[in-house]
Amino acid sequence: MNGISFTLNGREVTYTGSAADRLLDVLRRDYGCTSVKCGCKEGECGACAVLVDGVLLNSCCVAMGAVDGAAIVTMEGYCKTERFAVLDRAFADLSAVQCGFCIPGMVLAAEALLAKNPHPTEAEIREGLSGNLCRCTGYNAIVNAVENAAKEGNGLW
Amino acid sequence: MVNGFAPATLQEALAIRAAQDVTPYAGGTDLMVENRRGVSYLFLSKIPELRQITVDDTCVRIGAAVTFTEALADERVPQIMRDALAGIAAPAIRNAGTFGGNLGNGSAKADSVLVEFALDAKLRLVSLSGERIVPVEQFYLGRKKLDLHSDELIAEILLPKTGWENYYYEKVGGRNALAISRVAFAGVLRMENDRIVDLSAAFGAVADTVLRLKDAEGMLIGKTVAEAKAAKEAFLSRYEQDLTLTRGRVSAEYRKAVCLRLLQAFLEKFGI
Amino acid sequence: MENISRSVVKKDHAPKMSGRSIYVSDYQTAQSGERILTGKLLRSTLAHARVLGVDVPELPEGYFYVDARDVPGDNNVNIVLDDTPVFCRETVEYIGDPIAMLCGPDPDEVERLVKACRVRYEELEPVLDLAAGQEAFFDYRFGHGDVDAAFAAADKQYDETFETGYQDQTYLEPQGMMAEPEADGGMYVHGSMQCVYYVHGALPRVLACAPEKVHVFQDVTGGGFGGKEDYPSVLGCQVAVAARKCGAPVRCVLDRREDLACTSKRHPSLCRYRAAVKDGKVTALEIDVRFNAGGYSTLSAVVLQRGIIAAQGVYNIPNLRLRGRAIKTNTVPNGAYRGFGGPQTFFAVEMMMDHIARDLGVDALAFKEAHLVKKGDSTSTEGRYHFPVPLPGMIDQVDAACDLRKKRALYSQPQTGRYRRGIGTSLYFHGAGFTGSGERDLIKAVAKLRKYADGTVEVLAANGEIGQGLRTTFPKIVAQELGLPLEKVSYNHPDTARVPDSGPTVASRSLMVVGELLRRAAAKLKAQWRDGEEQEVEERFREPDFLIPFYLDKFSGDAYPTYSWGVNAIEVEVDTYTGKTKILGAYGSFDVGTPIDEKIVIGQMEGGFLQGIGYASIEKMAYDHTGRIRSNSFSDYLIPTAADVPNLKCMLYVEKYPEGPYGAKGAGELPLVGAPGAYVEAMEQALGGVSLHHAPFTAEDTMDTIVKEGL
Repeated sequence: MNGISFTLNGREVTYTGSAADRLLDVLRRDYGCTSVKCGCKEGECGACAVLVDGVLLNSCCVAMGAVDGAAIVTMEGYCKTERFAVLDRAFADLSAVQCGFCIPGMVLAAEALLAKNPHPTEAEIREGLSGNLCRCTGYNAIVNAVENAAKEGNGLW
Repeated sequence: MVNGFAPATLQEALAIRAAQDVTPYAGGTDLMVENRRGVSYLFLSKIPELRQITVDDTCVRIGAAVTFTEALADERVPQIMRDALAGIAAPAIRNAGTFGGNLGNGSAKADSVLVEFALDAKLRLVSLSGERIVPVEQFYLGRKKLDLHSDELIAEILLPKTGWENYYYEKVGGRNALAISRVAFAGVLRMENDRIVDLSAAFGAVADTVLRLKDAEGMLIGKTVAEAKAAKEAFLSRYEQDLTLTRGRVSAEYRKAVCLRLLQAFLEKFGI
Repeated sequence: MENISRSVVKKDHAPKMSGRSIYVSDYQTAQSGERILTGKLLRSTLAHARVLGVDVPELPEGYFYVDARDVPGDNNVNIVLDDTPVFCRETVEYIGDPIAMLCGPDPDEVERLVKACRVRYEELEPVLDLAAGQEAFFDYRFGHGDVDAAFAAADKQYDETFETGYQDQTYLEPQGMMAEPEADGGMYVHGSMQCVYYVHGALPRVLACAPEKVHVFQDVTGGGFGGKEDYPSVLGCQVAVAARKCGAPVRCVLDRREDLACTSKRHPSLCRYRAAVKDGKVTALEIDVRFNAGGYSTLSAVVLQRGIIAAQGVYNIPNLRLRGRAIKTNTVPNGAYRGFGGPQTFFAVEMMMDHIARDLGVDALAFKEAHLVKKGDSTSTEGRYHFPVPLPGMIDQVDAACDLRKKRALYSQPQTGRYRRGIGTSLYFHGAGFTGSGERDLIKAVAKLRKYADGTVEVLAANGEIGQGLRTTFPKIVAQELGLPLEKVSYNHPDTARVPDSGPTVASRSLMVVGELLRRAAAKLKAQWRDGEEQEVEERFREPDFLIPFYLDKFSGDAYPTYSWGVNAIEVEVDTYTGKTKILGAYGSFDVGTPIDEKIVIGQMEGGFLQGIGYASIEKMAYDHTGRIRSNSFSDYLIPTAADVPNLKCMLYVEKYPEGPYGAKGAGELPLVGAPGAYVEAMEQALGGVSLHHAPFTAEDTMDTIVKEGL
């Protein structure tokens, strides 16, 4: 039986476990991607969000069999990009990171949003981040940071 | 792969479906919450036939594995459906969730299914031995019970190309995003020569399946707006009397009050 | 703006932003390199029962069953009283009460084993009704003046009861703790927590060992909000007992449903207020407060104390009689949550004032303003407001931001149509630091600075960074005092093996109390500074001279040295067809003294205010007739998303506290406290001037009112 092959942050890997296993568990356990956080395992908080072929998915709600042939990006890979650097500065400037647990998923949600819509309105940002719960910030700082990143990163997205 | 099949064509998928005890897997957003152990999944997302939206003379045909995000971006999909899709959960869920999955999960809270009821959508079900076209209403046999044979897959959802333009859609959830419907309403009115020729009023998340009271709907059919206005009180009280809600986390009293008011808002929108 | 208030990049920004921070669930191995066993709790499925026995399935090799018999010392987790067991005794007292822990290498197998355990119970009658509960863990009475005479002389009397529900802290990182046996027989316990020394204090009794044999480290913690004040002591003792039995590292991370159903929450409350009014002023209040403590007493004593001390609000009430009880019920024990008893009683008193004003035909805000305390006035416990009360200026600030007075008048006119609007306000305080003499008698905080030969300085304190910014603000204070660049001063997560006990991370005390110790330590270090040498300085808490001593037995004296103040206005639009409420704007003016980093403080205000709005509106959690919490998942227990309150505006108003570092006061809890009062008052106005008595006030409640009132 063949394994499940995919690229993880640009690296080709093959998973030989069950196709029914959760992507979230596999990323954390087998590939050490602990930036992918488990907040609920029900698709209701966004802490485990990753990019699969550029699309934002909650990795708790993805079975391994569904990522055969896909390109997966987690914060471990994304944090090395130029786009991340722009978001990083914007979040830092507004002290938008508090406990940090929602942040990897939140930042990937911001990336997914900006990739689709490089100049979103505030309402579009709020909608784009609406699947990622944050209990610390009240969201203002995060939303403003994404807005600033969109301005600063002109051309990157 | 272990505990899973990832066929590349529909034929291949149907062969596996017929021969094995597999659970069809489209987006995973419902299945993975359950996360049953020892289950074997039939992954449908790589099958081109299930991933496309096409339009023929009368229908917009949406493949069962088309995601909500994809349909939301496709202007050929009726606006009433896109309104409903826009209100589903949040981007990451819409990126995964599919039309077939929303149907296959069998929940009366499925927002895309509500619109399918309101539009009298049809489903194309396929198996190795052929295909069936089933009206969505007949597909739902009861709470989580579907008219889907163990060798069948949902292939397409057939929505009418026109006739839905006069609609009212509203979802009432517990918050502005990431919310499961507490009540959802989809109403469609079709007028010809100043008369109502068709009316549908569908209620989601209130009973075991999406609810439509066909008899009550008929009360306004054939009437002008003025005549419908005169019949409005009787129409509304018919719903008040006949709309039977199941118990849920959110009280039936609340949901019923909302149903009746949304029905009224639907009529008001069209001057009734 | 003061120099100290200027924002900097938070010291923990980079690792958190890039996902590199290691939370307790992220360790791949123990520090020894050993495999970590997974622990999972077997919990009671009945609210009240005698446990006759547990049929444990056959355990594969390497798997363990751990229960009360495995506790080497006392089966008690020291919190306030000693009634919370590590694992249940003969009875279980709530659904979720831990009976045992199953441990082993494969999480799936451990889960299977937990499910395969059969607990044999003898069912006992549970107490579930807060109003009817007879047993009080704590029963306090205090007051002042002559209440009976005031009622006898009153023009009007009022008698109303207010109710508030649960609120779950909903930190994004669920509770998790890990214990690692060490080679010397010691036990290393670490995880997600607010108070390393609370866990450290609880472990030796349970493990029957010397305090030196345990050390506790706070891992990066994904939010606390009070929820990780006492519960980590319970979970920490459980994993430590398990690790001792297994002879291996054990980690237990709760899953979300377990966390929602089985860990402490904000106490549901019932507050009956009787008021006497003469010549348009409230002359007396008689208040009966009931908090639902749950199955064990945990932190209920101190939560109740803070709640009842705040029960007369920000108003001068000449005569007060108060009784407050923490009622035992067979439900999940409730504990600390941001605000700590204050949100419940402030809701009640704000609604009461609003209702009296409406009955008297005067505007609620004007009525409240006519009763406001000011500097020099007596507090509910006959202490003093020693410093200026900035509420009038703060009300003006909010009015300027949202046209509060104009809108209030406008929305009080009759409204028609599908959408109706209202705006409500609340005025409140949060007493800064521990209640009463706790800082002096119980905590006795000690903080240190260690200067290294290279000229860098490390802060040694026990307060945990939980998102509120301590890893940045503590060093800012020290750097400012020493005149050093910020990068020369560091503060790490506390490890009891390295840091003194500067007290718990609670009560909005860390910055104000410990921050001031650090400022003084820095001043001392500066005076003694010798280049190239390693030096250490220490500071100990001393009570400010101006304080009127507080006596808990009489509830008299200064319960707090100073107060942080809040004014909120919330503007709503109700959809009468769906019962849904759109928040048009939420405005907060907050006085937390000098902000030690403005953006950090604003972040605290915005986050806390939104939690308060959630508490007031959509965060509904209740138990059924069996005592089972029904809203135990993220699809049932709804907290606000980014799309829910887009127009949230927080403003600072600075009334410096001379005893706080650079004038800073407590900040963290304040912004949550007033939201329910402002929100429900706004709902009353939108719903045509009805009187409402409970929070959260949900869409269901709204529709219920619409139907009843025929709106």
